[in-house]
Amino acid sequence: MNRAPVLVVGGGPAGLAAAARLADAGRAVDLVELRPALGGAYHRRPIPGVAPWPIGRAGEARWTRLAAGIERPEIRVRLRTGFLGVDGAGFTLLDDRTTGRVETMRPAAIVIATGAVEMVRPRSGWELPGVTTAGGLQVMMKETGRIPEGRILLAGSGPLLVALAGQMVAAGRPPAAIVETGDPFAHPIAGLGLLAHPGPLLEAAGHMARIFAARVPWRRATTLEAIEPTDAGLAVTLVDRRGARERIVVDRVALHDGIRSNDHGFPEASPTASALPFVAWAGDCREVLGVAAAEIDGARIGEEIAARLAGAPIATTSAIRRLAAARQAQDVLARVFAPARPPTPIERLPRETILCRCEGRTVGDLVDLLEGADAPGGREIKLSGRFSMGACQGRFCAHWVAEAAAGLRPDAPPPTPHDLTGRRWPSRPVSIAALVASNSSPDEPTRPT
Amino acid sequence: MASPSKLRIAIVGAGIVGVSTAFFLARAGVGVRLLEAHAPAAAATGAADGAVSVASKRPGAMMNAALAGIALYRELAAQGVLDGGFVSRSTFLVAVGAAEAAVLDGHAEALASAGVEVVRHPTSALARLAPALSPEAEGAIEVRGEGHAIGYDVVRRLIRAAELTVERGVTVRNLVQSSDGGLVGLDTDRGRIEADAVVIAAGGGSAELLGLDGVLRPRRGQLLVTERAPALNAALPGAIMSARYLLSKASAKGAPVSPRGYGLVIDPLRTGQFLVGGTRENDATRPIADVEAIGHVLADAVAMVPGLAKLRLLRAFAGLRTAVVDGLPLIGRAPGGDGVFVATGFEGDGICLGPVMGRTIADALLGRPATLDLSPFDPGRFLAGRVAA
Ligand SMILES: Cc1cc2nc3c(=O)[nH]c(=O)nc-3n(C[C@H](O)[C@H](O)[C@H](O)COP(=O)(O)OP(=O)(O)OC[C@H]3O[C@@H](n4cnc5c(N)ncnc54)[C@H](O)[C@@H]3O)c2cc1C
Repeated sequence: MNRAPVLVVGGGPAGLAAAARLADAGRAVDLVELRPALGGAYHRRPIPGVAPWPIGRAGEARWTRLAAGIERPEIRVRLRTGFLGVDGAGFTLLDDRTTGRVETMRPAAIVIATGAVEMVRPRSGWELPGVTTAGGLQVMMKETGRIPEGRILLAGSGPLLVALAGQMVAAGRPPAAIVETGDPFAHPIAGLGLLAHPGPLLEAAGHMARIFAARVPWRRATTLEAIEPTDAGLAVTLVDRRGARERIVVDRVALHDGIRSNDHGFPEASPTASALPFVAWAGDCREVLGVAAAEIDGARIGEEIAARLAGAPIATTSAIRRLAAARQAQDVLARVFAPARPPTPIERLPRETILCRCEGRTVGDLVDLLEGADAPGGREIKLSGRFSMGACQGRFCAHWVAEAAAGLRPDAPPPTPHDLTGRRWPSRPVSIAALVASNSSPDEPTRPT
Repeated sequence: MASPSKLRIAIVGAGIVGVSTAFFLARAGVGVRLLEAHAPAAAATGAADGAVSVASKRPGAMMNAALAGIALYRELAAQGVLDGGFVSRSTFLVAVGAAEAAVLDGHAEALASAGVEVVRHPTSALARLAPALSPEAEGAIEVRGEGHAIGYDVVRRLIRAAELTVERGVTVRNLVQSSDGGLVGLDTDRGRIEADAVVIAAGGGSAELLGLDGVLRPRRGQLLVTERAPALNAALPGAIMSARYLLSKASAKGAPVSPRGYGLVIDPLRTGQFLVGGTRENDATRPIADVEAIGHVLADAVAMVPGLAKLRLLRAFAGLRTAVVDGLPLIGRAPGGDGVFVATGFEGDGICLGPVMGRTIADALLGRPATLDLSPFDPGRFLAGRVAA
């Protein structure tokens, strides 16, 4: 039996739960986390010297459980270490930012538990300084305990905006307003579905109570259309449900249009155990179901990998049923927060709207590229259009570019985000000095030709 | 054959060679079907460095072809077809150590004898000429009058300029010939396509279509692209090629070469990024980069241009060059198969040669006189009597 360690990528609930179950089965585990602290998006731990952000009793209990689960000799936790992918020779590559070296290993299996990424729909001015993502702002608050100065507008869609606003109110710094594209109160029947999921509902109720008490304006069925820099700050244009426009001025904007799997550039899950290393996905990066489900999914995948590696049958557990319940809750939330008006298709945004922030590529660039008799496919759009070619390697734009391309060329097969991002190492930019430091193999013997 | 405009012509492969051929035919008013198993530039053309260069060549047939290739790039650029897709710049062959300096000297003479403009720069001139270079560099020769073009970019622009359409996702399985050897059509995974003439420009896929065994070999190359670094980029006057590259290409016969065929070319791109290569690996069939090779190339690159150590690598990739066992491409009419043309086996030169070979094949199909002597590349040397369904 292959006694090499299992590599678990990601220090959120799914990764921690998977590591604990693998250790239960006697497996050695390397748990890598890119950030300086464990916790993932929800349980992000503060940097040393900062008190943890309060997350409620259920959350605290979950974190205590997860943290205790990995306190064991079989599990080696490596912070500030990124998974770069698997190379052409079959080596798994780790970017250790503490030692400044790229390391190679051959794990018995890889559990990818890299969580979710935030979606931000491109709109005019979204690339300006002072515009962040709501999740980014929240992580900063959790890590540093600090909220940036000035009037902060939260805009986009989804329960995260409400949670963030509630946390800001609790910290004594209410946001200027929440602008919500959906109209949650217009779906009482759908909303009733949430009663089956009392945990998240109670949490939401707590945030809402705080938001109302602090009189934070909650503009529903309203879309943030554009952001412009002015001397007084960022002027944002809001469009309400009747199409009426209004401008308000704030210092910062935090955008958020939901989340999706952070599946960017990583190797695909293995169909069978025979392919080495065996690759499995767990938590939000496999399917966005939220923090509680991520723990369940991580534990399930940890058990499954341990069984596969041992050649044992895979036990059926209650996990599938509990994941189905979480899926149902997510469906209800999606209906509750459905946009009140269909969003403007990306390809019909003003031509100068930035699509790819890294390379400054615009909607107009894409429209021009896709004109003409021949319709380029996903990889061609990437290469020739320089979309998803920059430092983020498509993490933020590939989705929108693929969607817009499909809209522009209904006559051609629609490109997928993966056509644009590819699945090769390095999944993130990596220091050249670190790669050179990894090159410890002696010079190859030379031979005459 | 019938008059060119009546011919039903099919081209197999939308790499730079197939697309160039279609482009020149379209310009002459002759439409073609351009059949491609995946997508334009899906294979070698989309994974190449893009040197449009003779810097590493010895005088001979390939040098002459490459000079014609460079001239055509200039012509297409002047006509606006490439619209900035061809960057004119010198290549600097840089020596480190006495042995490499000696190789350079001989190489400079050979290039000059073929009429290439070569300038020698002594060690003392390098700090001003190329401040980003390591102080270890001991002299360089500058090869003038060449340039750089990115394969997928050229392909896209040619498709645009001639309003070509590519039939993506069509794999040609075999040629269909009549009993007297005349071409009837092609069998594809989407059914039969009738054609009076076919150009096989299918890179590594050509061997199967031609029934060739042991003649074409994949030779893998691994490359990488860095993030942008405009200041460092501006501190290099052109492409930097290690004199050791000449050894890797085995142009200097008998010199030791590693099995990976490590060489070093550092290309400052217009974007402010650097394109760095690479390897020449025999019989590696998977076009995937590995960290050992990329780490090795980067170590060499940092030794040559120390400032690269501060940058991040954005992408590493690999491509398969299609090499012919005798080192010369296969270009021209296939013997025995009326209406069958071949243009493949360009190994590490197809970006430079693609357009000019496309024009040459188009001329042959159009019944125009040849502007380039193709006899050294005659596919007949391997194919005599082979093409038969
Ligand atoms: C790493 C690397 C670096 C390089 N650097 C340079 C350089 O600096 N300068 C230079 O000049 N050249 C360079 N080259 C070489 C250059 O890339 C190639 O010589 C050139 O791209 C070959 O073009 P092609 O059209 O012949 O083949 P390809 O680009 O390989 O195209 C062949 C096409 O045919 C298709 N195909 C194959 N079989 C079938 C079938 N049965 N049916 C339908 N379609 C099929 C394929 O999908 C492919 O798209 C480099 C190559 C590599 C790999």
